[in-house]
Amino acid sequence: MITIHHYLILSALLFTLGLLGAVLRKNILIVLMSIEVMMNAINLTFIAVSRYLRVMDGHVVAFFVMAVAAAEAAIGLAIVVSLFRTRQTIKTTDWRMMRG
Amino acid sequence: MISSYVPILVLFVFAGLFAGAFLGISALLGPKKKSHAGDSIYECGPAPVGGARERFSVKFFLVAILFILFDIEVVFLFPWAILFRQFVNEGMGLFVFVEMAVFLVILVLGYIFVWRKRALDWR
Amino acid sequence: MSETIFFYIFAVISVGMVLLMIFQTNPIVSALYLVFGFFGVAGLYVLLSAPFVAVLQVLVYAGAIMVLFLFVLMLLNLRKEDLVYDRLNWRKIGVGGVAILFLGFLAHHFTRIQIQPFFDLPENFGTPEGVGRLLFTTYLIPFELVSILLLVAIIGAVVLGKRQ
Repeated sequence: MITIHHYLILSALLFTLGLLGAVLRKNILIVLMSIEVMMNAINLTFIAVSRYLRVMDGHVVAFFVMAVAAAEAAIGLAIVVSLFRTRQTIKTTDWRMMRG
Repeated sequence: MISSYVPILVLFVFAGLFAGAFLGISALLGPKKKSHAGDSIYECGPAPVGGARERFSVKFFLVAILFILFDIEVVFLFPWAILFRQFVNEGMGLFVFVEMAVFLVILVLGYIFVWRKRALDWR
Repeated sequence: MSETIFFYIFAVISVGMVLLMIFQTNPIVSALYLVFGFFGVAGLYVLLSAPFVAVLQVLVYAGAIMVLFLFVLMLLNLRKEDLVYDRLNWRKIGVGGVAILFLGFLAHHFTRIQIQPFFDLPENFGTPEGVGRLLFTTYLIPFELVSILLLVAIIGAVVLGKRQ
């Protein structure tokens, strides 16, 4: 019998993995992918809760999260490409001059 | 309920089997002769200079990024298209139509911006 | 019963693929693993009777966002010397420990949630009709704001991408 707790703990696990990838990796593209994983984990929480509360609001929120994720991926990759053009690297620690 | 997804599962299983089978067959039956000259880059006789993996111009990526953003727009259009007739029958047709028109007008503004900036030119 | 089996299959696929994604050196390989991970999450959405979101997951995440990632990766055409090698050090082990604590904290609070499950779902639960009706009536303002978000993203992408 699968309860809501299974889904919630699974999404917590996915979120933590995404967080670890975003914090520990130095490859900017893997950092961006980890952020997508974190958004997916949040979506999974919304869908699971709305399944067990029998409301569809979570589905709509998941919809919006997907739009935000797509916009984030588009802008993030645009920034990566324009930084790669000038610096020829994808290592986050090589971009220290972005400090204010 | 879950059983109505069985065809999709069968599709995925078959897709995986076919891909695996063809890769396996070509690995089993294909020629495995490896020679140094055969693997090198063909450059009309002289020794090759530099690698084959030259860097492409990255300017085409803008087309892909704009595709994603307009793809999301289409995703929002999809449930609207399904529901529009129902909304018309309920007397809310004009409201929903204006709603989607506002959504599209804002995105068309973005499209005009892209057009004016010549971001889609393949130069 | 079959629901339990499928839940564990999809859970193992999504978590395993995300783990493989994190520990790759080559970002192209990790993008391909992540596509499979997104498919696993889409399977979980199907189990949660959200077919429309599941289809969108495959279309938007696996179909569009990951294709964009792969497109950019292929265009960047990273050579071997461009790859970033991350080594394990004490700082990372410490961060991992903190992450396990964070996960335990989340799990502790999540297991206390008490929701009586409903097994009889409405007829249009999770279909495009049901989700769309909510989207175009209750969530009207956020829906319009999404178009502004996309407009801003379009302008940002063009400004960043056209700079020569």
